[in-house]
Amino acid sequence: MKTNIHEENGQLIAILEGRLDTSVSEEVEEKMRPLHDCTDKDIVIDCTGLTYISSSGLRIFLTIVKSARAKKKPVYIKGMSANIRSVLAMAGFLNLFVFI
Amino acid sequence: MEKEVKLDPHGEALMEQFRKRLPELEQLAKDAYDQLTSALHAQGIYVTAIEHRVKSEKSLAGKLELKGAKYKSIEDVTDLVGIRVITFYTDEVDKVAAIAKCVFDIDWQESVDKRKHQLNTFGYNSLHYICRLRQGGLRFELQMRTALQHVWSTIEHDIGYKGEVKLPNEYRRQFSRLAGMLELADDEFSRLRTTVTDYRRQIQSLVKNGRLDDVQLSSDSFRSFVDLNPFDRLNKRIAAVNQAEIYPVSLMSYLPLLESFGLETLGDVQRFIEDNSEDAYLLALSQLAVTDLDILSSSTALQYLCVVYVLKNDGGRKDVKFIYDTINGKNDANDILADMILEQAKTLAFMQQERDKTT
Repeated sequence: MKTNIHEENGQLIAILEGRLDTSVSEEVEEKMRPLHDCTDKDIVIDCTGLTYISSSGLRIFLTIVKSARAKKKPVYIKGMSANIRSVLAMAGFLNLFVFI
Repeated sequence: MEKEVKLDPHGEALMEQFRKRLPELEQLAKDAYDQLTSALHAQGIYVTAIEHRVKSEKSLAGKLELKGAKYKSIEDVTDLVGIRVITFYTDEVDKVAAIAKCVFDIDWQESVDKRKHQLNTFGYNSLHYICRLRQGGLRFELQMRTALQHVWSTIEHDIGYKGEVKLPNEYRRQFSRLAGMLELADDEFSRLRTTVTDYRRQIQSLVKNGRLDDVQLSSDSFRSFVDLNPFDRLNKRIAAVNQAEIYPVSLMSYLPLLESFGLETLGDVQRFIEDNSEDAYLLALSQLAVTDLDILSSSTALQYLCVVYVLKNDGGRKDVKFIYDTINGKNDANDILADMILEQAKTLAFMQQERDKTT
């Protein structure tokens, strides 16, 4: 699982690649920490290379949404596969994100 | 060109006293602002703005030039520090004043209610208190007014005080007319707020008493209904499939969807839940049992209820997609979701019954 965070055109972009499951969730959560602290940039999670998400991965997404909402900011999701999008839909979390 | 201010020796002496006390005044402005802000927050009063400032040297010089002789020392000038509270509604001005009385010592001799006009005149509306911190120190001025009163006084000050020329009566009358109009608007906003609050209470009471058919479906009524946790039982049943945690989210984005189904009252929504819960559970079970999802949103039950309602009412791919387009915005990927739902739903009993009805 690769997690890469960088700034680009006023956005803070997290690129996730591989399987986001329980075995890597702690490490990914730590790497995603800058997204929680971000106040002045749009948050984008690029899921183009994400192949699987477990409940623990979903929880990471939810904590990011929670901290972004406290700052009245949306969380943008980019390139999410249909399968992973269906997981979000099944769990009723689709409308927490903005898909681009 | 700006008029040059000329101070007499007494005025210059007062100005010198002012300069020496500037750090003390700045601290006073901050302390007064902090104390009032925290008291308003503690009482749950939310206002448009709270401003604080120390009088500028230029503004003080203008004042001293005109009426410097009436001040023996700089301490006699009561507006060196000013706090201004701008409220949404007229009655909140009195609430802020009541709180200010608890926080500061008020100099009643110097305080003035500038909202009190003659019966037939309209103009500057604001409540001015001259205050002192409870721990002592210099006095300061607290102005309290509504946003509309603030707009009037700011524009009147901007236009009326610019330049040397005294405004003709015709223009002064226009300001008075506008003040009268804004006073009416302020009263109407307060009245509207009271009416809306009463309406909300009435809705809450009808919902609480179970008279759901008497309550039209609206954002207010739906919010009150959701507060009764009508989807809780189904959510818990669905969550039990994977011993999932239920994560609270807002359900308000589903309101347009329920309205599009033709549900007009909360009674209709209640029947919608009762009629579709079992099938919604079966559909959720068919989807979730093959996953290890142990976290679900509190909108899960409502989402499956909507899907089942659409399928039972001859809905197809387009109609299921409409659900996701409504709650999450239009997206081509919602076609794939709709296909997935249709594929999983076709083995369920209610879908077979629907098919039998059509053959």
